[in-house]
Amino acid sequence: MAEYDIEVDAVTKRFEATVAVDNVSLKVEKGELFGLLGPNGAGKSTLTKMISGMMNPTSGSIKIAGYDIRESPMKVKELMGVIPQDIVLYDYMNALENLSFFGKIYGLSGKLLQERIDKLIEFTQLDQKAAKRRISTYSGGMKRRVNIAAALLHEPQVILMDEPTAGLDPQNRLALWDIIRSLHEQGKTVVLTTHLMDEAEELCNRVAIMDKGQIIALDTPHRLIKKTNIEHTITVIPDRITDEEMTAIKKVTGVRSVRKLRETDENIEYLGIIADQPEEALPDIMTAVLSTGRKIRSIELSRVTLEDVFIAMTGRSLRQEEE
Amino acid sequence: MKLKRTIRQTFAIAKTDFLGIARNRTAMFFTLLFPLFFLIIIGFTFGTAGTGETSRIRLGVVNLDSIAVNVNGTLSTNSTIGDAFVQGLKSVNFTVFEYNSYGDKDSNGTAAYDISNGNIKAAIVIPANFTETLSFQYKDSFGAPVATKANLMVYTDPSDPTGSLIAQQGVLGFVSGFVKSYQENIINQIQIPQGEKEFVSVLTDPIQTTAREADISGRRLRWIDYMVPGVLGLALIWAGLNRAAVSIANERTLGTFQRMVIAPVSPMTVLAGKFLSSLLIVYMSAFVMLVTGLLLFQVSLFWNIPLMVALIFLGSLTAIGLGLIISSLAKNADAANAIVIVISVPLQFFIGAFFPLSIMPVPAQMFGETLPFTKFVEVMQGSMTRNLPLSSLMPQIVYIAVFGIGLFAAGIAAYWWSLKRL
Repeated sequence: MAEYDIEVDAVTKRFEATVAVDNVSLKVEKGELFGLLGPNGAGKSTLTKMISGMMNPTSGSIKIAGYDIRESPMKVKELMGVIPQDIVLYDYMNALENLSFFGKIYGLSGKLLQERIDKLIEFTQLDQKAAKRRISTYSGGMKRRVNIAAALLHEPQVILMDEPTAGLDPQNRLALWDIIRSLHEQGKTVVLTTHLMDEAEELCNRVAIMDKGQIIALDTPHRLIKKTNIEHTITVIPDRITDEEMTAIKKVTGVRSVRKLRETDENIEYLGIIADQPEEALPDIMTAVLSTGRKIRSIELSRVTLEDVFIAMTGRSLRQEEE
Repeated sequence: MKLKRTIRQTFAIAKTDFLGIARNRTAMFFTLLFPLFFLIIIGFTFGTAGTGETSRIRLGVVNLDSIAVNVNGTLSTNSTIGDAFVQGLKSVNFTVFEYNSYGDKDSNGTAAYDISNGNIKAAIVIPANFTETLSFQYKDSFGAPVATKANLMVYTDPSDPTGSLIAQQGVLGFVSGFVKSYQENIINQIQIPQGEKEFVSVLTDPIQTTAREADISGRRLRWIDYMVPGVLGLALIWAGLNRAAVSIANERTLGTFQRMVIAPVSPMTVLAGKFLSSLLIVYMSAFVMLVTGLLLFQVSLFWNIPLMVALIFLGSLTAIGLGLIISSLAKNADAANAIVIVISVPLQFFIGAFFPLSIMPVPAQMFGETLPFTKFVEVMQGSMTRNLPLSSLMPQIVYIAVFGIGLFAAGIAAYWWSLKRL
């Protein structure tokens, strides 16, 4: 029995002149909740498409539970459940019909199929009446749950989740985190593709950070943060952000980097500062900002996140990449 | 076990695909009802052609026969023959509108005005001396009759050449019949021996032409009887081609196709499911059109059901093969839809379903003749209206089969190629 559920060995994917995934190797242990992080265009989606069997690598090999995806594609597909980022359901059918269809596609039939559908309808929290309504009439959260259920009918050992919480409100996001945790507790191997660092930090045992087609870091979130040798970052929200105060902050002793960032949920712009001794640098940073004539609305020391790890490693912000 | 599973997967895909049509009114319209809509509109417009029941022609009549004319120094207002002529026109296939004068296009209430306004298709002007000339009232100084011809004028609408031609032919046909009856009447009145009357009759009307439609099926056929088997070709185009092209492209856009590809189901099983569903829709479309033809137009056809089923299957190979190529080339469902419209709409006029290819320009005829859909229509019409034996339809059937298998193979190749683009 294989020790690892996913083994990616020296995988490269080229699209003509572009190298989307460049000689990537990684191993995901059985029952692990693994995060694949990186900005858009980092190669996460291409890598997950190759792991799911939707796309063939240009070179290298991928094994799922010990089965090579090229040699035993059908076996690998039976072991794997892929939850796409978008709602991928037939909206002219109801939840029961959708689940029945995907169950049959995965080779289920008869009593077993019915049992699994009943179980997953419970999971989707739909009542019998709602389950018989067309998907097009469902709320976003209901659709999302059915979308997940459709990938779990065949009880896969390995589950790939592509940006599962993208576009969800905080309440639904937390509900989905519970689902992910529960799958993990059931012993499933879960690979979570996300660009949300807090999500990865909160859920994942280990994370791989991808940038420009390569894995630039792979470890537990805690160890990755520790490796930066930074304990805190400084967040400053001035009344307005211009190059002037950013230049002034950069001149403060001990400041490594200053980034203009945006809190997307509340649409607030702020400055993210990494400094060697943040507590000591804090008064000088305040003075530097005030000397430019700006007012400071808020200033705080924050715990280092995976976002800061990415900035420290690449000199760029994840969110800047997305913008 | 594996076969059972594959069959279950195939039917699940076919059922889901079919529901996609059955539960989508727009798709349902374009796939099933659009060709039916054409059949009904064109069937009601032209369908009865061929029965002699031509629609009643709106004809203007200006009867000037009652106007006084000078005949041998005396004013005559006799209008007996002119009136009989008008009564004759009313009793046949004309809707007669009577006018006092021909007039001009700007004078309301005249025949010319109504022609220019499209109210009537033609106008016939009966001259003032119509009765006098036809009853030989003009005499020379010795009292002998002077042969004088009556001059009927027929005016037609130049803006509608086809309608005018039909009206003109109708009027001339009526005049010819009227003249024949007039001749017989005169010959009977002339005091000549019985045997010589026959010669006089031949001399006045030396050539007799009788036009009849050939008996090609043992029954009297109308245009609609040809049209209904013909529109089955539209079922192939609108149901087969359209469905095959849009279905996969649509699923690719929605992501459901990718979801199937990552499931333990072979791409050929997915294709088989899609093919089954498209085929079912083609058969349904054909069934709806045939039932409509029977119920609405009372078409009289020969039913060779096994040939029909087999031929629809062969024709569907071409349509679905072409659809697969379109779906593989199109970037998304919208693009596939646009390509299908661009191909289908003109194509349906080149397959001889509504109008015979012979009325088209030669290049269009040549193009139409190369289409397997045209051959399909020819075989359907040959079998269902002419009751032709299989042997005489075989060249077209072979053409449809070869074309269908070739195009379907190309469609499968395009489908495989498209899997790499996911």
